[in-house]
Amino acid sequence: MTVATARPPAATGAPPGGPSRRGVLRWLLPLAPSLVLLAIFLAGPILWSVYIAFTNETLTGSASVNSQFVGFANFIRLFGDPNFLNSFLLTFVFVIGSAVIGQNTLGLVIALLQRGRGRATRSVVNGVVIAAWVMPEIVAAACWFSFLAEDGTLNTVLGISQEWLYTAPMVAVILANIWRGTAFSMLVYSAALSEVPADLVEAAAVDGAGPVRRLVHITLPLIRRSIMANLMLITLQTLASFGLIYALTGGGPGTASQTTPLYMYEQAFRYFEIGYGSAIALVLLVIGALFSLVYLRLIKVEDA
Amino acid sequence: MMRRLAGSLLLLAAVAGCGSGASQENPGGKELEVLYRVDVTWPHLEKMLADAKKQYEAAHPGVTIKLTPVQGTPEAYYTKLALLNRSPGSAPDLYYHDTFQVNADVAAGKLAPLDEHLAAWPDWQTQFPDSVKQAARGGDGKIYGVPISTDTRGLWYHKEVFTKAGLPVPWEPKTWNDVLTAARTIKQRVPGVIPFSMYSTKIHGEATTMQGFEMLLYGTPGGTLYDDAQDKWVAGGKNFTDALSFVNTIYREELAPRQADAHNAKLADKMNFEWFPAGELGISLDGAWTAAAWKPTSTKPWPQWKDTIGWAAMPTQNGQEPGAVSMSGGWVMAMSTYTPHKKEAFDFIAVATNKENSLTYSVGTGDLAPRKDVAADPAYSADNPSVKFFTDLAAVTHYRPAYEAYPKVSAQIQEAMEAVTTGARTPEEATAAYARALPTAVGGADRVVAR
Repeated sequence: MTVATARPPAATGAPPGGPSRRGVLRWLLPLAPSLVLLAIFLAGPILWSVYIAFTNETLTGSASVNSQFVGFANFIRLFGDPNFLNSFLLTFVFVIGSAVIGQNTLGLVIALLQRGRGRATRSVVNGVVIAAWVMPEIVAAACWFSFLAEDGTLNTVLGISQEWLYTAPMVAVILANIWRGTAFSMLVYSAALSEVPADLVEAAAVDGAGPVRRLVHITLPLIRRSIMANLMLITLQTLASFGLIYALTGGGPGTASQTTPLYMYEQAFRYFEIGYGSAIALVLLVIGALFSLVYLRLIKVEDA
Repeated sequence: MMRRLAGSLLLLAAVAGCGSGASQENPGGKELEVLYRVDVTWPHLEKMLADAKKQYEAAHPGVTIKLTPVQGTPEAYYTKLALLNRSPGSAPDLYYHDTFQVNADVAAGKLAPLDEHLAAWPDWQTQFPDSVKQAARGGDGKIYGVPISTDTRGLWYHKEVFTKAGLPVPWEPKTWNDVLTAARTIKQRVPGVIPFSMYSTKIHGEATTMQGFEMLLYGTPGGTLYDDAQDKWVAGGKNFTDALSFVNTIYREELAPRQADAHNAKLADKMNFEWFPAGELGISLDGAWTAAAWKPTSTKPWPQWKDTIGWAAMPTQNGQEPGAVSMSGGWVMAMSTYTPHKKEAFDFIAVATNKENSLTYSVGTGDLAPRKDVAADPAYSADNPSVKFFTDLAAVTHYRPAYEAYPKVSAQIQEAMEAVTTGARTPEEATAAYARALPTAVGGADRVVAR
């Protein structure tokens, strides 16, 4: 951009419409192919899925070629659907358990413990934690499956026989998601903690504040914006989490770990109710937006 | 800025290139895409189609057969097929199709009727029995697929386990109670053996509906999903609750596999490749094809099965007439409406379902042969003494009400079965939930009749 504006405008002759319009064209024209592609491949499907949420569209059968506008029927059905309400509750448990409490707290603790450690320690810990994060979701799920399976590592080590994925499916998927996602929070907090002035913490120590008081009264208030931003990001990520749960428990047994994204998949692609599935997706989107609003609001309150 | 422009153009070129890749391999010639299912332990269809491709291409220069496999369970296959079928551009020309899905696709206009081609195909008249011809008949009376397989269902049992439990061999249960009593006896006298196994969770999809639920429901007095006289779906009732109660009993009394296994997608492999050969399973309620897991054509042959495994008809609830029950379905080779080469496409169906290829499939999968000449071939019943028994079950068999709404009804049944399996609902509660959900599934309360 800077190269382009540095050129003298007179060199190409002044077109009608003045320099401001030319300025717009200058950046819009080269961007156009990308924008067109984005419009076709991103905006198109998004608008389509919003539209079909209000139809009785299915993947097979006569409604797949001749779907009808049904207004809010899908949404009315949704809020009277005990399976959806169950999935919603499980999603809430999953987000609070694995993201807000699990990843967030563990990430902060690891970041705090790493402060002032030697380079070797930091590299090793970072390496291990981030390895879990960069691993593809399915591979992570396969690792946890072999860890928790009846003849898996955990039972072998404990010397017991327990069907963890059946008896405690939510605990299993929450643990797996904490394990996989903690790296993100850890990185955010490592960066935030490095901004905390060391002299402030030292001054508090000199004044007699213990480690807990220093954390609560000095460190946390200083990194509160990072905390909120991190919470928002991991909440949104976890809300839409699908692959890990699908591969680990498939939402089962029964519907015991069927979070909303899994319920949506089942309705849309297993039972071919793509219209109903899209309605669920839309509701999920609104829930995500509500979460974000709450966090953004909290950040603003903090700033005021 | 230049770099970004170049990037955009490159991406544009790449995307533009995607669309046209497939059809360029055979310039000037025609290509037919065939979609089918394959699994590590189920390579038989692939083998049959590869043979058919060779024969067809040799006889039809200028036409290429492109075999597109879908790896996974039948459920995964249904989804993939439905998604590909959404647009004429991605729809396969020919596909392996489960008969219960046929009417939904006929209603959507996705399938091409074959009557015109069948009339000119002598095999159709001479080799396919009338009952089999109906397998893929649409609501409009036209035929939409040539059967590759048909099947019946019944009980398989381990003779050594029965002997250890002091149960009679051969075993001929007359009522549901006889089956439950045998299972209870095994639990009591042969510890460590799973007495009875059936499909009863959502992960097994249509198997849960058909091998599980319908084998019970159609064995109750007057039990049916669809009232033919009134042309309406039956909303629950005592028959429905009784069928679910059987399932409830085997899980609550722990006569069944543990929950983790009941929910395992590989339950069939566990039963047939692990538990039966190891003598760890007493009885299974499963399809006629089960013996294919042990035959020499299997991926894990178990020659001793002929002496160790017995088979029996699933009895009716109280032993009422006709004494036994079975369900029949099957798979067909179907043609897409969208294929521009209908004549060539039908020719491939005819080659794929000729005697030789049909035999390869039936011997491999253990499914019952739809063709008379295959059924009469010694190679068909060699290594499988159970074939005659399961073929004869056709006398007591039922067909699914394969209307357009059936797949959705089936999904509700799976829901009910799983709820009873886990104990989340009692049979009564699960029946009530089914009755509540049925009107939405079949398109209105006026298409439902209460029992």
